[in-house]
Amino acid sequence: MQPQGPPPQGPQGPPPAKQKPASMATYKRMLRKEIKKRALEPEINFLNITAMLDMMTIILVFLLKSMSASSASLPQSNDLQMPKSILTTEASQDGVPIIISKSHIMVEDEAVVEVPSDATHGLEAKYKREGPNSLYITKLGQTVKAWRDIDRQVRPKEAAGGSEAIIIADKDTPYRLLVEVLFTLGQNEFNKFHLMVLQGGKLGGG
Amino acid sequence: MAAEEKLSAAQRGKIRRLSQPRELAPDEEGGELNIVPFLDIITNVLMFVLATVTVTFMATIDTFPPKAGTSSVRPPTTPTLGLTILVVNDGFSVKARGGNVAPGCNETGPGLAVAKMPDGKEYNFEGLKKCVVGLKTAFEAQNSGAADFVPETSVTITANNNIPYQAVIGTMDAVRKTEDGKELFPDVNFGLAR
Repeated sequence: MQPQGPPPQGPQGPPPAKQKPASMATYKRMLRKEIKKRALEPEINFLNITAMLDMMTIILVFLLKSMSASSASLPQSNDLQMPKSILTTEASQDGVPIIISKSHIMVEDEAVVEVPSDATHGLEAKYKREGPNSLYITKLGQTVKAWRDIDRQVRPKEAAGGSEAIIIADKDTPYRLLVEVLFTLGQNEFNKFHLMVLQGGKLGGG
Repeated sequence: MAAEEKLSAAQRGKIRRLSQPRELAPDEEGGELNIVPFLDIITNVLMFVLATVTVTFMATIDTFPPKAGTSSVRPPTTPTLGLTILVVNDGFSVKARGGNVAPGCNETGPGLAVAKMPDGKEYNFEGLKKCVVGLKTAFEAQNSGAADFVPETSVTITANNNIPYQAVIGTMDAVRKTEDGKELFPDVNFGLAR
């Protein structure tokens, strides 16, 4: 038997010795290291607009809410143009809104009485309690009395002394008609009126 | 030592392959609800609301119910100004201390205290303010020495039936404050012309 010598070498030389693999622990450590090295930084590849969206939604809701809640939402038309004042104080929102336009007297958007084209002598006698010279408007009185009763039940403490009303009248409303409305309210235990005006006018409404 | 151990070629290849960052599937990309269209809608609505709603600033003037007929209130013991302004078609008639204020606002007598402007269309609100300031100043100079003197702040405003509401508001504005912000007659009571 011939002794086994080194394997015969070819013309290209000896084949490379097969490298012994590293241990599993080393392999895993190196894998972790490599993953960590190549990991992408958390990239913000889109604009984060959620915060802005929140803000805009809040602004929109706030605008819609405040505009619908205030009397500022009243449309200014030929039928109702409020007078201008030099006042710059904040408008009061307490009380039942009474609207005196060129064509109607309304309580909370409900037309109660029609206003004649010439109202310089007040409303027609058929709407009055005691004839044309009376200041009391019967139908308006009934409506505001119902409102007064509700107010007394809802706000027993605040409304004990009397209720409040917001008067939104057209700038050309004759004084007689204005006084008839205020007198009727006064007779139904409304003891404070807030006359709604537009801010920013010059003295005399210019 | 383990640190000096060399990785084999196969191990290096495997590490290279496994350490590649994983690409996200199309449905995983973003990882967030796409709210851009919603934002567009909100922005458009907001712009529309802001553009269409005319912002009008309101104010309210507090007043009290009008009094009809004669008052049953006992006459005051101390002298009072008792300012009453009647808005008529030609101007303002002013009553103070029970008498009619004559034109010029310096003495009592018949006539309108403050007539309309020369064109006959506009009320002379500046003139009314000056007149009221003069009356109040003179009255306070005479009576401020009294022990029970209290500055008056109430005025009764009355108007002819046909006087427009704007003129009444203008009258209230004119008698509310002086030019330098000093209070004149902010408490308004409406009266009835007889």
